[in-house]
Amino acid sequence: MLPSLGETSGADRMPYHEFYLDDFEPRDHYRPLWEHIRKTGQSALGSKVHEAHLALRSEGVTFTVYSEEQEGIERVWPFDLIPRIIPANEWVPIEAGLKQRVRALNLFLKDIYHQQQCIKDGVLPAELVFKGKHFLREIMDIDPPQGIYTHISGIDLVRDGPGRYLVLEDNLRTPSGVSYMIENRIVERHILPEFFARYRVRRVEHYPALLLEALRHLSPRGKDHAEVVLLTPGIYNSAYFEHTFLAKEMGIELVEGRDLVVKNDVVYMKTTHGLRRVDVLYRRVDDAFLDPLTFRPDSALGVAGIINAWRAGSVALVNAPGNGIADDKAIYPFVPDIIRYYLSERPILENVPTYLMTRPDEQALVLDNMERMVVKEVSESGGYGMLMGPSSTPALRAEFVTRIKANPRNYIAQPVVPLSRHVCYLDGELESRHIDLRPFVIYGEDIQVVPGGLTRVALTKGSLVVNSSQGGGSKDTWVLAE
Amino acid sequence: MLSRIADSLYWMSRYLERAGNTARLVEINLIHLLEAEDALPEAAQWRPLLSISGSEEAYKKRYDGGEVTARRTIQFMTRERQNANSIRSSLRLARENARVVRDRISNEMWEAINDMWLRIDRLLEGSAPAERSPAIYAEVLNGVARFHGISVSTMMRGEAYGFYLLGTCVERADMTARILDVKYHLLLPDLSMVGSPLDYYQWAALLKSLSGFEAYRRHYHAGLRPVDIAEFVIFEGNFPRSVRFSVEHMRHALQEIGTDGAERTGAAMVALEAHLHETSADTVLSVGLHEYLEAFLTKVAAFNGAVSREYFEHYLGEER
Repeated sequence: MLPSLGETSGADRMPYHEFYLDDFEPRDHYRPLWEHIRKTGQSALGSKVHEAHLALRSEGVTFTVYSEEQEGIERVWPFDLIPRIIPANEWVPIEAGLKQRVRALNLFLKDIYHQQQCIKDGVLPAELVFKGKHFLREIMDIDPPQGIYTHISGIDLVRDGPGRYLVLEDNLRTPSGVSYMIENRIVERHILPEFFARYRVRRVEHYPALLLEALRHLSPRGKDHAEVVLLTPGIYNSAYFEHTFLAKEMGIELVEGRDLVVKNDVVYMKTTHGLRRVDVLYRRVDDAFLDPLTFRPDSALGVAGIINAWRAGSVALVNAPGNGIADDKAIYPFVPDIIRYYLSERPILENVPTYLMTRPDEQALVLDNMERMVVKEVSESGGYGMLMGPSSTPALRAEFVTRIKANPRNYIAQPVVPLSRHVCYLDGELESRHIDLRPFVIYGEDIQVVPGGLTRVALTKGSLVVNSSQGGGSKDTWVLAE
Repeated sequence: MLSRIADSLYWMSRYLERAGNTARLVEINLIHLLEAEDALPEAAQWRPLLSISGSEEAYKKRYDGGEVTARRTIQFMTRERQNANSIRSSLRLARENARVVRDRISNEMWEAINDMWLRIDRLLEGSAPAERSPAIYAEVLNGVARFHGISVSTMMRGEAYGFYLLGTCVERADMTARILDVKYHLLLPDLSMVGSPLDYYQWAALLKSLSGFEAYRRHYHAGLRPVDIAEFVIFEGNFPRSVRFSVEHMRHALQEIGTDGAERTGAAMVALEAHLHETSADTVLSVGLHEYLEAFLTKVAAFNGAVSREYFEHYLGEER
């Protein structure tokens, strides 16, 4: 039973500050860093900011923001040089919780696309699954290699007022950000080695190696004959930098749809010396665009017949098509139940409290308190299609009320979680901004989590929106070794 | 490797070489004309540059059939977006192609080409004077030289390297033949003038625009004779910008790439080698330098076409 809004205390609504304990003192694990900054002075950081920007720009660490002009605007990755530090003991339950969640979601997907036992057992309403925009009938009864669907997951975490880590959102389709996680570490090390000297920070750059191992594990021809490639939509995609980065770090071919062809249910690459067979395809093309024979026929980004090849078992697709139903915002409130159902375990990581608009009492509660709610459209991502109650206008709230009543299945609501805050070095000053965390989970022969993840920062003062496409930034994330 | 990637590597190299050669051409012409004792009209001083790159039509379109002036030509060849062969367009395309093959070239190579493009684009964004200053051409030449230096020392030898080398050499052979063809006939409008007193500075400028003046001087002690210059530029195998050297390195590049099944490319390569084999400047000049170079350029185009057909354009299931 969800707590009613009246139970949320004042303390719960105050954001947790990651860096400061109170007005004067830093938290214990930030003390060495804080002392160092005080000793060297804030102005010394100014030149480091410039150095970081140059390093990132010259490396081409950018992302593209969609614009109306022909050439997309390529922005240098916005990086804040104060690292986010997570003590070892804090990380232990996070890692365990992430692994648990991904394991359960994988079992859920396997079930949904086969016997659908969880629906028969009433774990969640059938209509939420079948009416889900991302539930793909075409995937039914296909057996992906090793039974894995969620090879790569980005689970977004936030901290509530008292500092508990909660899952804000699962990203099981084409989660991005891991290249920035690694580049942030490279740049931080380059410009502020003196910060590192005072800590024992766990490494993150082995992510590509872990991922490659996991991908090769899936090869239908066995690990020793694994031709692994990364399928990108191309240079105009906002995450293109990451595609090139990962392909290079893993030493695999970066391909576009037009480089591939399916013959007799086998996928091949077009090379200078003829056709070469592909075993594992890490695809960063959305499901809908993946195969014009099965999904959108107007897609130029995919490969005709690739789903047939997948169904025939001749190629592995990562992540599996059809995962979207499991990170669907309408399914999100049921994930704790899903964990309990498949694993018979108590969820280690909890959800942010969430209300379903399909439940009359919850809908009523939300409609009465719109100015304290975040209302999310179930099918959108990237922070669009969302109402931020506290900062919205009465007109906008009224519009959302209408939308909710018209299509309750498409909306969920959450009381505003004040994202935790951290210190950022902005325009020569140390200022506080809201942050979140996206750790990355790899499901291969076993489930692994790279310590830390991408800490995203809402750079606009007071904003809670961290997505890079809407002006977010990021920090290097340190998980300390014991 | 992927056909699309090979295509981009090849063209990255060609555009880079084109940018460098064009920069050198314009720079030398600018410097040469600082002390213009010969009162040649402006159009005559600058039109050859347009001929070399085959840009006369494009120029006419851009300037509405107007006259050839120094300012316009320099602008047209340096920063004009509408000119696909301008330095800026060539660099932009080189960098675009480099971006496609980023995972194939080393980090340092990418940084080199990216930094160069950003710097020069910014320089050219300023007002007209930029292209009147030799500094910008020096920037381009330094950038291109730096890129090659880094590539040769960091790029894994193999197929990718082969296409990079091939693109560079094809463009170089092509450009060198064009420069020689245009400038030679500018300087010697009449074959009967071979061996006559000649304009030292013009010939020196031709050699300088091929970065060969000092090398030539050390190699030939009889002064600047047209026949020697033709011999040097076309046949001197030890001069890195000669036609022969470029063609020999195209052969090396094909060896790195592998020519199994690429019959047309193999035949086109042999044709180019045959064109240079067992002949000399004397023979070529008596038969006709222009005809000789024109035939060569046709063979280069055929080679380019064969490479595209057999390595880049992929037809489903078709055997090469």
